[in-house]
Amino acid sequence: MSSLPLHQDLYLIAHDQAGKPLVHASSLAVGLAGAALLDLLLAGHVKVGSAGLTAEGQAIGDAVADGLLAMAAAGPDPRSLLKQASMGDVYGRVREGLLGSGVLVRVSRRRMGMLPYTRYELADIASIVRASSGVRSAVEGWKTPDARCAGLCGLVAVLRLESQLYLDQPAARLVTRLREIAAAAAPPVGRLVETVDTLVGEAAVAVYR
Amino acid sequence: MRTQQNIEQFGYRQELRRGVGLTDLVFYGLAFMVPIAPFAIFGTVYSESGGMPALAYLVGMIALLFTAASYAQMVKAFPLSGSVYNYAGRGISPPVGFMTGWMIMLDYILVPCLLYLVASIAMNASVPGVPVWVWLIIFVAVNTVINLRGIRMTVRLTRIMIVFELVVLALFLLVGIWALFQGKGSGFSLAPLFDSEAFTWQVMFAAVSVAVLSFLGFDGISMLVEESTGGSAQVGRAMRLALVLAGVLFIVQVWVAALLVPDPAGLAAQPSDTAFYDAAAVAGGEWLRHVTTFATALSWGLANTMVAQVAVSRLLYAMARDRQLPSFLAKVSLKHSVPSNAILLICVLSVGLGVWMSTREDGVSLLSSLINMGAMVAFIVLHVSVIVHYSLRTGSDSVWSHLVAPLIGAGILVFVVINANVLAQVLGLVWLGVGIAVLIALYALGRRPSLTGADRP
Repeated sequence: MSSLPLHQDLYLIAHDQAGKPLVHASSLAVGLAGAALLDLLLAGHVKVGSAGLTAEGQAIGDAVADGLLAMAAAGPDPRSLLKQASMGDVYGRVREGLLGSGVLVRVSRRRMGMLPYTRYELADIASIVRASSGVRSAVEGWKTPDARCAGLCGLVAVLRLESQLYLDQPAARLVTRLREIAAAAAPPVGRLVETVDTLVGEAAVAVYR
Repeated sequence: MRTQQNIEQFGYRQELRRGVGLTDLVFYGLAFMVPIAPFAIFGTVYSESGGMPALAYLVGMIALLFTAASYAQMVKAFPLSGSVYNYAGRGISPPVGFMTGWMIMLDYILVPCLLYLVASIAMNASVPGVPVWVWLIIFVAVNTVINLRGIRMTVRLTRIMIVFELVVLALFLLVGIWALFQGKGSGFSLAPLFDSEAFTWQVMFAAVSVAVLSFLGFDGISMLVEESTGGSAQVGRAMRLALVLAGVLFIVQVWVAALLVPDPAGLAAQPSDTAFYDAAAVAGGEWLRHVTTFATALSWGLANTMVAQVAVSRLLYAMARDRQLPSFLAKVSLKHSVPSNAILLICVLSVGLGVWMSTREDGVSLLSSLINMGAMVAFIVLHVSVIVHYSLRTGSDSVWSHLVAPLIGAGILVFVVINANVLAQVLGLVWLGVGIAVLIALYALGRRPSLTGADRP
């Protein structure tokens, strides 16, 4: 099982082995913010009240999570917080975290020996296997998913990353199963996944981005 | 309690990072309306108005200023980015919202088709060897690829396009006024604004029913309410400002063009899609004809279609998400973050309808009338929404803003609809009838209209 924060697991699943993102940056940013907020909710660092979110505690040492904690202190609703967070550099912060822990390595090369580019590749391919193992187990029924795993299932479905699970099932059935797992989990999981789904749709029809 | 400063130290800001200010809201509205929009429909407006296109644009601007006021009221009540579909649904009831969305859809789904057709006619005027339908397919193909790749207008690109269009307009006005001083055209006169011999209210409202096309898009500013740095109040100001700016520009350019029309009697009797370019040629010669046609093609065929595509995608997405249209229209391509099915639907519709309309002599005016019909009916409902929401539901004391102004605005638009092109009226009624049938079917299937997050303020 992965011991990384949920948003880092999602980052790994959302990239191929060469470090290329599989979904558009605006959608991925919403998904990563959603994963970080879910982690905070499940750990009790943030609570959902009738008036909005409330932060319960101090910084925990993760740049993404601490950023969300700071924003949650203003008492926004989850939708506003995710929208606000996704407009910031949540993607870059997750990547920096993975670089700092050695899961990713920075690789600079030149296209045709001329044009320089930088990729962030996996230091060990086993990281992505660990990141998605819980989701695969949940889908295959090998293990009952906990709330965290159910949330990751929902986010994988919303971002249509099911091909990264390498399971021999039709995509539509797999997505349906992943959504069912998320919906069957504790209430904050299902609601948060729905909010991420809505924001991903809204990002696709945004005027400017 | 953490402060704003604490939040920003983590790289976030309280407002959206890409907050849009008043200037950019106005620029967006202008980009949607296109400051040189009358270039394309000048011939039809001239003909319908009996040679008084400036008056048609003046009346159109006044009518839509009332609409902008009603938009501002509904944006204030429901500060969510959305179209008139959302405001009518929340202000009156979801079924009325559905019917309003259905009517405005006539506007939104036909606009890209009209834009492609106008751009193609403009290119054909410059390069007659390539037929209009070929240009149309080229424009549709290029735009569909751009849209499917997820390329959007940016704030900077919007500004650049507006500046480009204003430069072309300034060039036309300078050369046109100089030409009038040189004795070309029919000389200075007030006739394009008011001609007592030609004026009747029926003629005027019929002309307004075409001229308002140039103003459609000011309502697109409401889509940016969540990004607006000044909130809903700023959106209302931006709408009024954009309308007045566009109105002044439209009136000035059609006034000058009307004085340069080579055959006024002929154009009044038989509208022409290239009348403006002919007037430009009278003023400055063939080079000015080419400059104005190229500017029309670029601004209608590329810049405006990118903006219009986003608007129609948003409407289709919102209605499909609320299960009021087939769910496949809410499908999003995650790779490029675009509503791929909505884009492809508009592509197919634009090619089919556009090629057909390119074979009709009245293709542009018929499409314009249909688009205006959808928009006008939806705007009338918007005025009613203000009255229902404020005066009836919340018992507002603001008699002017919440009762009299919407009533005047709706009244003017009713006259415009009554005097519109008869074929457009018939087709508009058919579209309305289909909408009612779909609504009945939704009820029969147990899918009565409801709005996502309708409980949200």
